[in-house]
Amino acid sequence: MSWNRVAVVGAGLIKFGELFDQSYEQMAAGAFQAAVASVDKGFDPKAVEAALVATQRGSLWGQEGIGGNTVPSAIGLSGIPCTRVENACPTGSDAFRIGAMMVASGVHDVVLVIGVEKMRDKSAQEGLLARAASGHPVYNRGETAPVLFAPFATRHMHEFGTTREMLAAVAVKNHHNGKLDPYAHFQNEITVEQVLAAPSVCQPLGLLDCCPQTDGAAAMILTTAARAGEFTDKPVYVAGFGVATDHPALHEKSTYVGLPATTLASGRAYAMAGIGPDALDMAEVHDCFTITEILDIEDLGFVEKGKGGQATLNGETALDGRLPVNPSGGLLAKGHPIGATGVAQLTECYWQLREEAGERQVAVRHGNALQHNVGGRGSGVSVVNILTRNR
Amino acid sequence: MSSPVHPVSLLAVGAAAPSLRLTAADVGAAWGSGGGRGQVAVCDADEDTLTLAFEAAETALAAAGLDAGELDGLWWGTTRPPFAEGPSHTFLATALGIDPGAAGGLSAGSPHAGMDALLAAWDALAAGHAGTVLVVASDALLPGPGTAGESTTGAGAAALVLTGDNGASNGSGPPARLLGRASRVRPALDRYRGDRGAATVDTYDGRLFREQVFLPLLEEVGRVLAGTDPNAAPEAWAMSDPDGKLASAVARRLGSTLASTPVQAALGDTGAASPLLGLVQALAGRERGAVGMIGFGGGRATGVTVAVSRSLPGADRIGAVLAGGRPVSYTTALRARGQLEAMTEPVPMGVPPGSAAFVRGNQEMLALEGARCRGCATISTPPSVHPTCTGCGGTDLQVVALARRGTVQTFIVNQTMPAPFLAPLPMVIVDLEDGARLLVQGSPADAADLAIDDEVVLRLRRYAVERGVPVYGYTAFRSGLAPAPVGAVSTVRTGEEGP
Repeated sequence: MSWNRVAVVGAGLIKFGELFDQSYEQMAAGAFQAAVASVDKGFDPKAVEAALVATQRGSLWGQEGIGGNTVPSAIGLSGIPCTRVENACPTGSDAFRIGAMMVASGVHDVVLVIGVEKMRDKSAQEGLLARAASGHPVYNRGETAPVLFAPFATRHMHEFGTTREMLAAVAVKNHHNGKLDPYAHFQNEITVEQVLAAPSVCQPLGLLDCCPQTDGAAAMILTTAARAGEFTDKPVYVAGFGVATDHPALHEKSTYVGLPATTLASGRAYAMAGIGPDALDMAEVHDCFTITEILDIEDLGFVEKGKGGQATLNGETALDGRLPVNPSGGLLAKGHPIGATGVAQLTECYWQLREEAGERQVAVRHGNALQHNVGGRGSGVSVVNILTRNR
Repeated sequence: MSSPVHPVSLLAVGAAAPSLRLTAADVGAAWGSGGGRGQVAVCDADEDTLTLAFEAAETALAAAGLDAGELDGLWWGTTRPPFAEGPSHTFLATALGIDPGAAGGLSAGSPHAGMDALLAAWDALAAGHAGTVLVVASDALLPGPGTAGESTTGAGAAALVLTGDNGASNGSGPPARLLGRASRVRPALDRYRGDRGAATVDTYDGRLFREQVFLPLLEEVGRVLAGTDPNAAPEAWAMSDPDGKLASAVARRLGSTLASTPVQAALGDTGAASPLLGLVQALAGRERGAVGMIGFGGGRATGVTVAVSRSLPGADRIGAVLAGGRPVSYTTALRARGQLEAMTEPVPMGVPPGSAAFVRGNQEMLALEGARCRGCATISTPPSVHPTCTGCGGTDLQVVALARRGTVQTFIVNQTMPAPFLAPLPMVIVDLEDGARLLVQGSPADAADLAIDDEVVLRLRRYAVERGVPVYGYTAFRSGLAPAPVGAVSTVRTGEEGP
């Protein structure tokens, strides 16, 4: 390809949680300042040539029309070219992908990708639960967020003998990792027994099978590989990416034991990076619900279809496992501020590849990390990004 | 007394009752008055007079072996249609799959509406305007809390398939024939509801109503009919019975048998449905003879006699209808009827029921339509959001009525639903018999042990009352009295190319 090779030279986020004391703008400024401060050789904010803002649901804080101008104003860069990106749960990861293409194309040398999401300015009742009334006026009536994924759990259990204990193992692992991540929303260990005993949300999923509603923001600074040395001696490169779509209604899925968009997107990303799942050191995947991580690790090719639950129970995806998954704590423990989620996952990959992840650092043998989101209506959008530290 | 121009026959009958039962004792206890006998049928939150009418109509059509598309008309009588003004009849006809050009109409305004619908259909058949039609009478009246009517007001529906063709080509002849009719009026204010009233107001003085209105009117109608043709005097009567005692008093005066008692005992006063439901009961197990029914409401009493030649298809199912139902507490009944509401903010639908999305969506939702690809046979649902085939991307699509039976591909039980949703609410992905697939709500009654591969039937239910407007959709039911599908699976609606 004749594109510029793209490097990440800075990344930062704010601590995720129910940030009742911070506005959307304050969260954005916090993440941007953290990213700027993370650049090894210093970074003048004025060096940002263009920005992409990832925000999925402005309606959750009463501001659907955020546009591209809200964040530049909040971070002191009013005037720069900036566009808001929205692409369902992969909003943040897709903004990163598009930002990488902006740099790769040679149009801009230094691009800021910033994900910001205010999830808790509205109550849970008025927030995500209100989507029970969305979609077709009648066909989708009652389709809350867990309804997008729980039917896959029912079917996965039916076809492969996956158990609620296997699902619980995902939550237990990710909470363990989250305890080691100072940015995580939840920083406490949980047990399989606690997961099984938690109140039912959407059978077969209980409360601890579900990610929380979290406020958060994350930012990354991208530049060309050629100019990366101005900012750091340890850049991380964009090795590949893929995005894919599927039909948007739940009843239009070709399967209820996998998410075809993930398989398609990852296939494109692996091909672009020239590697397969065997060459990964870790992955940050979309675990909005426990079943989602099991589907992900199968659809991404980490384990055989149907074996995700047992592999998790066996510890294959633990921090010291064969392929650590969600060392940050994932959406389940770290939180899922939708537009910020993908950018924060990529920040975790950046830190892990630079071996700066502290107590949750994984062993880096190959120098490659994968980031994945899937979501939207019918889980019909998936984005996969692969980062590498190999020049 | 008038005589029909053409004889009109009865081919089959159907009956339906809502899913809840409330005892008069519980109502009495709630108001500290104690006592009270019997029980009434109460609609659950997803049932109303329209869904009851739909159920009765489906069972009658199944008993007749008819597809709704073969009917020439639908006459529906209900005291209080779901829309006081609005497309009540159109919604029912569309859900049943009745031809858009068919005749018919809605009778409403008093519990006499069921008889009004029957007479209107009879007239159309007798005049030769229609060949085979459906008459449905249903009611789910809302009694005022604390009124005497609260212990007696029930809910239910009955449907009759009538024909003017008289089985000329069928050697066995029709099972029953409509014989005679008579009406009498007295312009008295009995039970009523004003324009601004939410609940029905009870009679002012029970004894006044009994002695001066109800007994004399019904007795006179009964005597006229019994005297018309002494050889065909009814052996048993079905009657409106506002309090469970009045009808038996009329029957005693007529020196005849009251056949509608079991209906009243199981369901209470079913309003407009009462005389027709009573007729179905009177026809159950009967192979010959004559029966009569008298409906009352709004100061009018009308009687109709029926001559029976053989057992009426569908009549015997009334036993199961009357035996069904789930006992509930007074508070559950109040909640189901919308008379006890949480002071929480309900989640509104994404768009209002009068908006373009509903105008586009009502037809395909009520008629349960899909877009079938002429290229690869994939059915994409609903048609309005599928200008291209989800299977092959083709655009040569035809709108088809979907099958209403299928199996569970997968499901969940939602436990965290904001108002107006009630948990547990199953949501089911159903593989329909015609290969189409839908995501629909499931019956809460099935929530405890629903399983993949279970067979389910889709039935019309009221999903919500949104901005004061009822919104209907289909619910997957596994248990209970499952009606047969409406006619053939995946009937192609010719002449409709879509989308």
